[in-house]
This record gives sequence, structure tokens and C-alpha cells, in this order.
Amino acid sequence: MSNQTLEATVDPELVNKWIEEIGSGVPAAVPLLQAIQGEYGYLPRDAMDLIIANSDINASQLFGVATFYAQFRMRPVGRHLVKVCHGTACHVRGADRLNTSLNHILNITDEEEDTASNGSYTVEDVACVGCCSIAPALVIDDDIIGNLSGADAQRVLKKHAKGCKEDLPGDTSKKKKAAQENSNEEARS
Amino acid sequence: MSDSKLEIIVGEGTCGRASGSTEIMGLFKKNAPDATIRTVGCVGMCHAEVMVEVIDGDGNSHMYGNVDKKGVTKILKFHRGEDEKPEDMLLSATDDPELEGGQYLTKQTRLALRNVGTIDPTDMEQYKARGGYSAIEKIIQTGMTPEDVIEQVKISGIRGRGGAGFPTATKWTFARGAEGDKKYLICNGDEGDPGAFMDRSLLEGDPHNILEGMLIAAYAIGASGGYAYIRAEYPLAVKNFDMAIQDATAAGYLGDNILGSNFCFDLKIKQGAGAFVCGEETALIASVEGERGMPRIRPPFPAIKGLFGKPTIINNVETLSNLPWIIDNGGAAYQAIGTEDSRGTKVFALAGTIKRGGLVEIPMGMTLHEMLYDIGGGSSTDKPLKAVQLGGPSGGCVPASLFDTKIEYASINATGAIMGSGGIVVMDEKSCMVDLAKFFLDFTQIESCGKCTFCRIGTLRMKEILTKICDGEGTMEDIDTLEELAEGVKQASLCGLGQTAPNPVLTTLKYFREEYEAHVKEQRCPAGVCKGLISHTIINEGCNGCSICERYCPVDCITGEKKKGETWVIDQDVCINCGMCVEVCNSDCILVE
Repeated sequence: MSNQTLEATVDPELVNKWIEEIGSGVPAAVPLLQAIQGEYGYLPRDAMDLIIANSDINASQLFGVATFYAQFRMRPVGRHLVKVCHGTACHVRGADRLNTSLNHILNITDEEEDTASNGSYTVEDVACVGCCSIAPALVIDDDIIGNLSGADAQRVLKKHAKGCKEDLPGDTSKKKKAAQENSNEEARS
Repeated sequence: MSDSKLEIIVGEGTCGRASGSTEIMGLFKKNAPDATIRTVGCVGMCHAEVMVEVIDGDGNSHMYGNVDKKGVTKILKFHRGEDEKPEDMLLSATDDPELEGGQYLTKQTRLALRNVGTIDPTDMEQYKARGGYSAIEKIIQTGMTPEDVIEQVKISGIRGRGGAGFPTATKWTFARGAEGDKKYLICNGDEGDPGAFMDRSLLEGDPHNILEGMLIAAYAIGASGGYAYIRAEYPLAVKNFDMAIQDATAAGYLGDNILGSNFCFDLKIKQGAGAFVCGEETALIASVEGERGMPRIRPPFPAIKGLFGKPTIINNVETLSNLPWIIDNGGAAYQAIGTEDSRGTKVFALAGTIKRGGLVEIPMGMTLHEMLYDIGGGSSTDKPLKAVQLGGPSGGCVPASLFDTKIEYASINATGAIMGSGGIVVMDEKSCMVDLAKFFLDFTQIESCGKCTFCRIGTLRMKEILTKICDGEGTMEDIDTLEELAEGVKQASLCGLGQTAPNPVLTTLKYFREEYEAHVKEQRCPAGVCKGLISHTIINEGCNGCSICERYCPVDCITGEKKKGETWVIDQDVCINCGMCVEVCNSDCILVE
């Protein structure tokens, strides 16, 4: 499945309401982008165009700001977002392994890609969530979870996926089980 | 004993919530509905979350750590007199001062953190009950002039806690004297240093204290507008501070004619969007103005021409958190703590391979050794400590041989590291210092705003060389080039980010040069970290053939027959040395070398 299906449909009224509430001058650029990303999970081009058309912020200023700050994302995001903390404490305690193991269970193999092919989860690196004493840590949607091994990260994701009925494309235990059942059935028939 | 006499306090900072405090809170409410149940910020013992304190009818306090669902029942049974004391969870108790957790707190001097972990941060009355807002009341009701306030801060000797250590009173004097119809005060809560969480805990755990600190600073410099610049990654800090602004405004501490005086101060929150360079004053100002957060050439200094062209002072969260205490107790009382070079206390965030990690506040002049061992409890692994990294990407590492160094600006600078904002990452022998230097260069290179060439290109070249060395392709000449580049970037960069970016490289080269040389000459990573220089093999004698490594291997390079340990092998051509197998192996039979 391509990630195009994750592209958001922008509600112009909502964007215009933000411009009205937050402001239409340059100092409003960051908060406006934060509002958009808060709603859609990323910065859809349509929303950016609306701001450029309906505020005093021009395209170069808006894109300049959007591409400068690490928080902003220009690509569509999965239905759920996993942020893996890569602060110093998390790094020395094996944060890389959390990425390896999450990418494995989500079957994300392309280095350029960060979203599972079924659009379920996006795995993003973040600089530091400030929970260094419980390193390594990750954030799923809004929940911070710490003291994780690579295997724990998979367990946490499986639990989360079960709770919101998402499939994990790289979850071989399920596949193997299914394959086992299939072969059993074949044997029976 | 009846529950109604019990006061149960649950730590609900970000660390606590991450460890499940919300669930524990719910269980106490359900199982002990008659008890007084309160929520507080993080007391700092993050290693022992979820933390619960129970105060009984006689006023005795028992502090419990690592409390889980079963722990809730055990704690309640003990305090109802139905069961024995749950010793395994007990961290400290007022009737037993020898307990480890008690030591963790008694060896500290908590001024900035005086309320954190004690009060409910969302309840202004609790802050007031602990003497909150008395400093601003004292200033206004006793008619202290801005100059009087600056004088007290000058006597205190406090230096900016954001990292650079510039005397706070001196900075204020510039802005006080600057011409301008409007002046701004900004609270710098853009704690971008990976490995630091002092500002987060302060903002989450005692937001009114920071707010009062801002009022004092604004009064001193004559500012009528203020911004609290807080990282978007700290949602709880933003929420608690926002509530503090609303409550303080309703109570007349914020807004127009504060406490009936002519002093007016309007305060807004500005959320950062993830840029390390925005910790730099002029970059932060650019960011508040809505621009890319790029530093500007100084002079003019922000104190003269800052936000929207107006005189602006930017103070760090921790600096601000000390101000109410200084005004309440007088500058001299603060000056009496610490050393000649560095007055007062400093908050540190201890993390890494340390037994009792968390937030600690110590009097300046304590040695690193005392902080790491007496408070932190030493190494959390079976390996001894090797070094600490102070001050994050701008700082440097201090080797174990220098742990007798006093924590004060001059002594720490002498080691090549910096005091920094207070992030301390502790490392044992399993940490590779070359990998650490590469990690920081990776970080600063990405975070470099790109304005000046030395920082933009210099950090990239340094990172390339470090990557080469970590991959086992470095030469001895590379080490010399690295050193030369480091000096160049340090001298020629425009702002603090570039000027300090080489510090991790320079200090690791200074103290751990042999590790660099082992990577180059022997093609060996002594700590077993650098992926290009290690390999994973199965020790078949120890293997029981459980196949768990096969299941977790992300590249399917482990094969063998179930229950036959002797058959298991790792395909070296496919293996990416990620270490998953080592982590999951139940019989410790994967060799990394």
C-alpha cells in the first residue's frame, strides 16, 4: 500500500480560523505550523498554501521556518507516531537497537522510509524527550515509556497495536503461526 | 489505623507518568478513598519511579520507590497495621535516617528545587503555603527599587545557570540602563542539550517559582513584556506553566498594576519547535520573532537591542528559580553557599550508567566523586565508571582519574569540559569514547544552523573523520587533521554552538587518545561498541539452541537447529552487529569482539 493514502484532506475553514486566532504576521509562523501539525500530524501542502494566501507570511518565510525546525514534518505520517529518543543517555544505553527492532517488526527496510507500508506506524528519531534517567525511552502517540531493551520495544508496540487493532507487517510470530495453521489444515485435508 | 489520617503523595512528573504513576494514583484513589491523596512533581529520584510518599497520622513520612500494582496493596496494608513494612520498596523514612534514599536527599542542598516533589504544581495555594510569592510581595510592599533588587542579586554572586555562567546582576545592569519604551524578559526553557532535564523538572514541578523569578527579573530591568520559551517536547511543562500564568493573573500577581503598584508584566508562552541553536540568545530571539532560529552578530547585545529591537534579557529557568529564594533570604545567604569562584547551588541531571539517576542539587564546591558516589550510588552495572560527560554537546568528558575535581566554574573549565546547564551522562567501560565524540558531532552537525562556514562545513568534516575512525578506516593522520579542524571551528565560529562543538572531540582526545589509536592502529574498539570493528559469534558450548536470537535477528542471519546448541551460527556477511541477539540471549553465549 502506498503512503499516499495517508495524505490529509485539509479543511480551509480550520486553517483560516487559526490565522484569525493566532495571527497573520511573521511572529505567528511557528505557532501556525504547530497548529497544522497538531491537527494533521504533518504539514500538508494545501494548508501551507492557504497560509501563504491568507496571511502576511510569504512562501519563502513559511517554508524557511518549516524546514528549519526539527519538529516539522513535510511527509504524511502513519496513523500512530513512535518517537525514539536519541539523547545522550539513551544513546549510550542502546537507543539504536530500539530503532532496529521497531523497524524489524514494522518491516521498514528502506533507509529513506520511516512509515510501515500499511500506514500503521511511523518511527521517528527525536533529539531528547528529557527522561534521561529512564533511558532508553520512546514515545508512542503521547505516552512516554522508558527502560526499554530492543525486545521490550517490540513487546510495547505489539501491545499498543493490539489495543488499537493495527497490524504489524513485520510480526513474524503471527505469520509463522498462520503458516503453521495453514500447513496443519493442508495436512488435514 | 484509619485511612482518613493518611496522606498519600504520588510523584507525577514526566518520568513518573512514563513509569505508570497515573495507574498507581488511580489504584490508591480506588482502594483508599478516605485518605488524602495528592499529586506532586518529580522529587528527582527518577531511578525509583513510581515514587509514593505516605505521611501517617503522627507526621511520620515513608517514601517508597518502584511502586507497582502489588506495591499499592502492600503499602496500604502496612499503614493500616495489617502487614509488615515493605522494606524492598522503602527508600527513606523519617524514623530511619540511615536508608539510602534518605542519604540521596540529605546530601543535597535544595534551593532551586525546594518545592519540586513537595507541592502539587497545579495548586498555587500550595506554593504560597511554602512561602511562595512572598519575594515579589516584599519587593513591592517594602518599596524595594529595581536597583535594590539588582544589588541583592549582585551580592548573591549568582551566575547564569544556562551554561556560560555570566553574572546575572551584571547582565541586568546593562538592560536596566538601556534606553527603550518597552523592554522584554525571556525565560529560556529551550533545554536542547540531549541528556539534560533540569528545566523540564523545574517547569513541571514548581512553575509558580519560575514565574515569580520572572517577575523579580522583569521588575529589576523594567520589563513589561515577557515570554517563556519552552520546548514543545515538554508538553507537561507547557501545561503546568500555562495554568500557573492563569492562576497568577487571577490572583493579581501578573498583568497590569501588580499588587496595586505601577509594575505591569504581561507573560506569554512560546513553544520551541526543536532547534538546539535556539538556546543561543540571539537565535532564540529570532525564533520568537517567527524567523528561522539563526544567531545574529553581536554587538548590539540583546540587553541593548533584542526582541523586536527592544532591550531584552534572557535568563535560564534554573537562574530564575533561585531568585525568589535570594530575595526572601537576602543575597548574603546565597553567597554563603558554595565557593569563592561559584556561589550557591547547581542542579544536575544524572543519567547513564549510574545507580541512582535523577535530579540533584548540590552546593558548589562538592567534588564530582561525592556527587557520583555519595548521592548517585556509583555504577549501575558490574563495570566501574570510566568518565562523565558534562555540558552535553558543548561540554566535554572528565575521566574517572579527575573525579576529585570540584564542581565550580573555574575547576571544571580547567579540565576542558564546561559546567554547562547541568546534564551529566555517566559512562562505564562499555562506552566507547570515540563513538561518543561521533554522537555529539552528529548532533551538532545536524543542529548547526548553517550561517557560518566553520561550523557548517567544519563540523561535517569532523564528523566524516570520526565516522571513518569508527568504521576502522581511519589513519593516524586523520587524528591530527581532526585536532586541527577542532581548533579552527572553536576559534572561527560565530556563536556558542560552533565555538563549543569541538569540546567533546578535544576532551576525548586529551584523555582517551589511546582509544582513538586502538581504532586506527589495531582496528579494535576497546569498548566493543563501534559496529564496523566488532563481530558477533555464538559460543556453541554455552548455547542451548533456544532459537530466541533467530526470532529477534532483524536480518535473519542466525541459523541452527532447535535444541542443538552446537549447530547455531551467525552469518558474518549478513550480520549488521546490531546487538539484538546479545540482548535476548538467555545463556549469555554470544561473543562480541
